[in-house]
Amino acid sequence: MIEARGLRKEYGGFVAVEGSTFSVDSGEVFGIIGPNGAGKTTTLKMLAGLLEPTDGDVSVAGYQAGETEMRKRLGFLPEESPLYEEMTPVTYLSFFADLYDVPGGVADRRIHDTLDRLDLEHRERPLGDMSKGMKRKVAIARSLINDPDVLIYDEPGSGLDPLTTNYIIEFTRELGEQGKTIVFSAHNLFHVESICDRVAIMNEGRIVARGNLDELQREYGETRYHVYTTVEVADSVKENGNYRRVVESMDAVEETREAATARGGSVVDIRTEESSLEEVFLNVAEPEA
Amino acid sequence: MGAGRWLRTRSRNVLRIGRWEITKNAGGVDKRTILVAAVAMVGLAAMAPVAANQGVALDSGLYRVGVEPSSPYYGAVAADPTFVVQAPSPEAVEKGRQEVLIQGGTVADYARTQKGRAALAELRSTVQRYNDARMVDEPNQSAAFPVLVDLRYVDRDVSQIVVPNGESGSDETGSDSGTDLSVGTETDGASAGDGTSTASGDGGGSSGGDDGGSTAEGTAGTATDGDDDGSTGTDSGEDGSTGADGDDATTTATDTDGDQSGGLLGSVGDRFTASLSGGGVSGTPSDIQPPFPFRSLVLAFVFVLPLNFIIQAYGSTMLSERIKRRGELLLVAPVSRGDIIVGKTLPYFAAAIGIAAVIALGLDGGAVSVLAVAPLAMLFLSATFLGAMFARSFKELTFVTVTVTVSLTTYAFVPAIFTDVTPIALISPLTIVVRDLQGQAIGLGELAFSTLPPTATALVLFGLGAGLYREEDMFTQRPIPLKVLDALAGRIKRKRSVAFVTAILLPFVLVTELVAIAGLFALQALSLRLTIVLTLVAVAVIEEVAKSLHVYAGYVHAKFDRSLRTALTVGALSGVGFFLVEKLSLIVRLADLMSLDIGRAAFNESALSGPVVLSFLLAPLALHVVTASISAVGARRSRESYFLALLVAIAVHVAYNLTVVMVLGWQ
Repeated sequence: MIEARGLRKEYGGFVAVEGSTFSVDSGEVFGIIGPNGAGKTTTLKMLAGLLEPTDGDVSVAGYQAGETEMRKRLGFLPEESPLYEEMTPVTYLSFFADLYDVPGGVADRRIHDTLDRLDLEHRERPLGDMSKGMKRKVAIARSLINDPDVLIYDEPGSGLDPLTTNYIIEFTRELGEQGKTIVFSAHNLFHVESICDRVAIMNEGRIVARGNLDELQREYGETRYHVYTTVEVADSVKENGNYRRVVESMDAVEETREAATARGGSVVDIRTEESSLEEVFLNVAEPEA
Repeated sequence: MGAGRWLRTRSRNVLRIGRWEITKNAGGVDKRTILVAAVAMVGLAAMAPVAANQGVALDSGLYRVGVEPSSPYYGAVAADPTFVVQAPSPEAVEKGRQEVLIQGGTVADYARTQKGRAALAELRSTVQRYNDARMVDEPNQSAAFPVLVDLRYVDRDVSQIVVPNGESGSDETGSDSGTDLSVGTETDGASAGDGTSTASGDGGGSSGGDDGGSTAEGTAGTATDGDDDGSTGTDSGEDGSTGADGDDATTTATDTDGDQSGGLLGSVGDRFTASLSGGGVSGTPSDIQPPFPFRSLVLAFVFVLPLNFIIQAYGSTMLSERIKRRGELLLVAPVSRGDIIVGKTLPYFAAAIGIAAVIALGLDGGAVSVLAVAPLAMLFLSATFLGAMFARSFKELTFVTVTVTVSLTTYAFVPAIFTDVTPIALISPLTIVVRDLQGQAIGLGELAFSTLPPTATALVLFGLGAGLYREEDMFTQRPIPLKVLDALAGRIKRKRSVAFVTAILLPFVLVTELVAIAGLFALQALSLRLTIVLTLVAVAVIEEVAKSLHVYAGYVHAKFDRSLRTALTVGALSGVGFFLVEKLSLIVRLADLMSLDIGRAAFNESALSGPVVLSFLLAPLALHVVTASISAVGARRSRESYFLALLVAIAVHVAYNLTVVMVLGWQ
């Protein structure tokens, strides 16, 4: 659904994105993570056709980024929600429905359905009088007004309270389950981990790692083994009547078992723990650390 | 996509965005404000015709005059709203409650204050007007006005102002002088053809002449029965005495006829037409004064004023799109940049045209007035649009709108005041409006001369602004000079784009030059020679900057390699682009100009033939290529080198201009 090949974006000598190549399949939820200034937003804007790449090209739904047909199939949510604050949500959304050639009856139904799903009340209140969370919901509703195949969301939960953020992330997950192709960036890696099929990690304008979570964990993460013994062994802590030792290899597990046996005890449980995306991210972004 | 479908799609998008622009702004203004604004606009539209025709009576009830109804002054005082009639009271005068005291048939006293003296002066004028009015009502008009002077102010013929070598000036000038000085110059009481002069009684003007009297362009004289006393002759003589000034004027114009029928009054008459005087003035000859172009001034002001308000709202909405990042969502919608810009501009343009139409309707103007305001509205809006694309804050936008207001109002307003004074006034579309409202005929060439340059300039400004109407320029806080370079560089895709950009900048160059000339025109204190030199320098600066700035922008944005060969190539392309469009526009303008007096004066046919035409082509081509190449060579290195090279190019250009002027004949 989305093909990005060799994307490069330069702002007067400053390279914001360099050599980004990736693809997103239809119906896939693709996350882009990275520290501030890594090039996430620039990448998303190039996908949306807002920025023209200095080099490389992007196709979305079979069209070059920026083409009118491509824009009709796209829903874009910028990091901020720049709304016309003197308008009501319905008036605001109606204008965009009109702009996207959505027939009047369909638009009315879609506006109210979407606002129902987003649990937005006070629809006749001017947007300027609404809370940040409510405005964000209206912005999301706008991104869906044309029933797009592709959604590009830049930090959808940015600046919102945890409750609203969770609500929006959950809503995004539902959109993914409905078959929308979604590319989004987030700082909260837990959210990315919870809804993304695949992830790209950016740093200093480059994609430094990509794949599904398993692949990333295998390549950049660590597997830790929690070995529970009946007797105390080196580096173990007492836990629920047994002793737990955390090791990072199967050889260490074997050593622990031998040590417990030597002391007349035994291993009663072994649990594995994979690195979280945050740990993977930290490993990739700051390998020296 | 077929052209029809493309047009339908564009129109639909533009109208949607335009409707949206209105809706969102209407939502941001409460109903009370809308009501007040509507009432104010209606009031302005209603007041405009009155103000234009009568002026504004701010002096009503200003002075208090004590006068009895039995006093012969009573009628005059009571009829003038400037005065408040009170019972005569010396005590009131003393205490400052009354400015003038009239007792019986004399002014007994007046307040010894500035206001008192002003009241007294006003009273004199009022009484004089009152007496004149009574004379007009007199059944025996011959008795009331033994001398009738019929003034006809004719349009200034360009032959009067351009007489470089004395070859053609004499006869025509003599004729005109005769025309102008007709007042009181004809002494035999005879009507002279269709022109000239007056007939008086048996009094004799001290000067006058048959030359003046016999010219076809002379002012028609109307003879009265001429049976009156010598006082008439005295009056005529006074007028005739002004002929001496006219004589001076004709001498200046190398008139050898010895025509003494020129005069100050006549030359003033050239400057101000009778249509502005209101006509029907009666009284003594000393009452005959050159009419001040008040009506032109008011008409021009009424039309240009609303534009200044409209651009405030327009600039604000365009900047809000940037500052608040609202424009981002439209940029990602399935509409083009052009749709967005036109759609957002359309309501303001429509408002400008609508207001102009209402004002024109109120002033009995026609569609021509509205048609002439359209390019002006476009120019105001386009300059504001470009300014809003450059401004980084509302504070900067204020500076932009003030600059636009002052510069464009000057460009539009000042020439229009002199609608009937000089053909150069046609550089402003408002001149067309004023002429239309005065019922004067307007040729297609004149309309094109006035409206095409601002229209083309507006399109260029919109084009440059559109170059910045994109994500990476709209929402960044780059310094204005860099944005200027961005806007120019955005239009350069390859080397030959340089020629195209130079070409599209030409209307901008033309208008800038016209504004510069208008500015110099206003500085009448300067000598002719200095004015010419300054004009040549201004033209050189404007043209060299226009030929080179985008080349420099191209280098800044790494559009070209920095080799000498490339610099010479882009420089030459810029020069050729400028030359081609300049000459093309000259040919087009020649067709128009030749229908105008100023055009005929500037380009007489003998000057446009053979070697002259060839030199008109080759020499400027060489000049533009050379100077643009000089600038380009500097631009490839650094900013400092560019400025230095630009100065050299300007110097070469000025030298060329001066040489041409001297070769063609420095007067």
